[in-house]
Amino acid sequence: MALLVGIGMPFAPAAHESTGATSDAAPRFEAPPPGSYELPPIDRVHEHQLTGSDGAPAPLLGLARDEIALVSFVYLSCGEACPLATATLHRIDRELAGDPELAAHVTLVTVSFDPARDTPARMRELETSLAPKGRWRFLTSANRAALEPVLEDFGQDAVWIPGPETAEAPDRLRHVLKVFLVDAQRRVRNIYSTGLMDIRLVLNDVRTLLAEAEGNPS
Amino acid sequence: MATRFLTSILIGLLAATAFADETCQSPYMPKLSGQEDYVYVWTLGIDGVGDGSDKLVTVGANPARPDYGKVVATASVGGQHEAHHGGFTDDRRHLWVGGLDTSKIFIFDVAADPAKPKLVKTIEDFPEASGGVVGPHGYYALPGRMLIPSLSNAKDFGGKTALVEYSNDGNYIRTVWMPDDAPYGYDARVNATLNRLLTSSFTGHKNYMRKLPELMGDAEAMKNFGNTVVVWDYHARKPLQTLEIPGAPLEIRWALDPTHEYAFIEAALTGKLWGVFRKDDGTFEALEVADIGPPEAQPLLAVDISISANDKYLFVDTFMDGKVRVYDIENPRAPKQIYERKIGSQVNMVSQSWDGERIYFTSSLLANWDGTGGDDEQFLRAFTWNGKELSPTFDIDFRKEKLGRPHLMRFGQLGFWAAGNPAASSEVAQRP
Repeated sequence: MALLVGIGMPFAPAAHESTGATSDAAPRFEAPPPGSYELPPIDRVHEHQLTGSDGAPAPLLGLARDEIALVSFVYLSCGEACPLATATLHRIDRELAGDPELAAHVTLVTVSFDPARDTPARMRELETSLAPKGRWRFLTSANRAALEPVLEDFGQDAVWIPGPETAEAPDRLRHVLKVFLVDAQRRVRNIYSTGLMDIRLVLNDVRTLLAEAEGNPS
Repeated sequence: MATRFLTSILIGLLAATAFADETCQSPYMPKLSGQEDYVYVWTLGIDGVGDGSDKLVTVGANPARPDYGKVVATASVGGQHEAHHGGFTDDRRHLWVGGLDTSKIFIFDVAADPAKPKLVKTIEDFPEASGGVVGPHGYYALPGRMLIPSLSNAKDFGGKTALVEYSNDGNYIRTVWMPDDAPYGYDARVNATLNRLLTSSFTGHKNYMRKLPELMGDAEAMKNFGNTVVVWDYHARKPLQTLEIPGAPLEIRWALDPTHEYAFIEAALTGKLWGVFRKDDGTFEALEVADIGPPEAQPLLAVDISISANDKYLFVDTFMDGKVRVYDIENPRAPKQIYERKIGSQVNMVSQSWDGERIYFTSSLLANWDGTGGDDEQFLRAFTWNGKELSPTFDIDFRKEKLGRPHLMRFGQLGFWAAGNPAASSEVAQRP
């Protein structure tokens, strides 16, 4: 059934939507070159302490002076657009593997919405399966209450819709899929959504921010 | 669980077909599926009518509910601001609505209780924060932000204007002024698949706040209407092309099928329907594709258009004769009018449900432009559409109900953010 959802059967997922754009299709536009445009700050977020896939405390961002993060909130029982966000980060990870100089400045972060089910062990399973080539952290939290300030800080909406509480049909989460581009000063510089998640645009945004940082060393 | 997630990743690059409410919504928003429960109507106040204030009116829209066709709630904002347009944030939790005269923006929480929107924030310093932009017109959801195409400027109140962005929290982000060869603004719509933004052009504060008969009699002032549509690189916010579309090209509607690379725009003063088509080299061309009403009757002021989700029908309203005309647009380069109906003595906005079965109309254009075609009747009228004709379902007289001049409509749904939402239930049922 996830396959049917994934290939565009006429089903109306209320929380996860896309416009029919796919980042795997042949591109229909040239991406604007890095540095040819601006990415004004949208918001500033805080550092938060979560739980890593090894079960130890881990910072959400943990950015050094010249580093950038791409942060995505997902949950492992999501069968629709969350996999798209993770697939996008996966492709970015593979692209960065071919550009070590760029990769040294980028960290990918996947945070679970669902700490009750997405335990550190499950996040470790996901991490192992994706076999990241670069820096990619998989985080969860102690409970939903611990995650709430993070979601509020990022402006990431998330509403749990109770289900029958069985393993086969757990609660569902209504949220808009977003991937946040965060600079070294913890400013959100872009937000990507299911309207279109084109890794050329994401990587050019990363290059744009790094060029900006080089021009304005702090 | 992780295995299924990984399996989904493999097919996660394919996109699900989107099902949406009003077909003009931003591609970045979650959409309503099924029946809307409410129509939110942003309404101008009229002196001597009720409290005289601009207000957000909530009307019951679900025939299965006892509040169908009735005013459920009103939320006055105090004062008359030239209430005009509005739009949801990308998470659909807030509805932003604004005033073209005072440039104030009112942000309503529509998630906590969809039956009773609550004003939670007012942006009072839009002209100052934006560097001199006046007349916030459209409210178009981007991820985490709102894009506000505007109409005028604080320097001369003419038509030179800008696109302004705010965060969902209501904090100013940036101003992008329209290019020198196309300085006027009105609507802004993104085609995410093509990374293209289209903007259209109207007129400035000193024209749109002026009484219409007086304005139309002033030949010099009538020269100050837009005649351009700009094609932008959306991601870079850079103008790429300026297309000439004379006669105030206003509402832009991209075709919704992602393989259909065109949009429709109506020119208010000439009564012409235009298509903007992507060419093989990736640039765009604008072509006149149909008449909107008889040429000898112009200007009828073609004011709003609505495209059906299957890209088959286009509804076009003309203000001066109060009519809607429906076009078969399956051949977008040769639309054919297949139906027309008089909705009232004047008509402006038209909104349709995603399934195309329910169509809503409101009457008001601008406080100083209303009533010039005859009776200044003010209404929300609802119809069903069966592909051939409109059949009326309910009608609310906004003067009789002491509300004002109804304008922008947006749909709400009970339980969208809560358990028991039928769409959410179907989501669970469909999962493996």
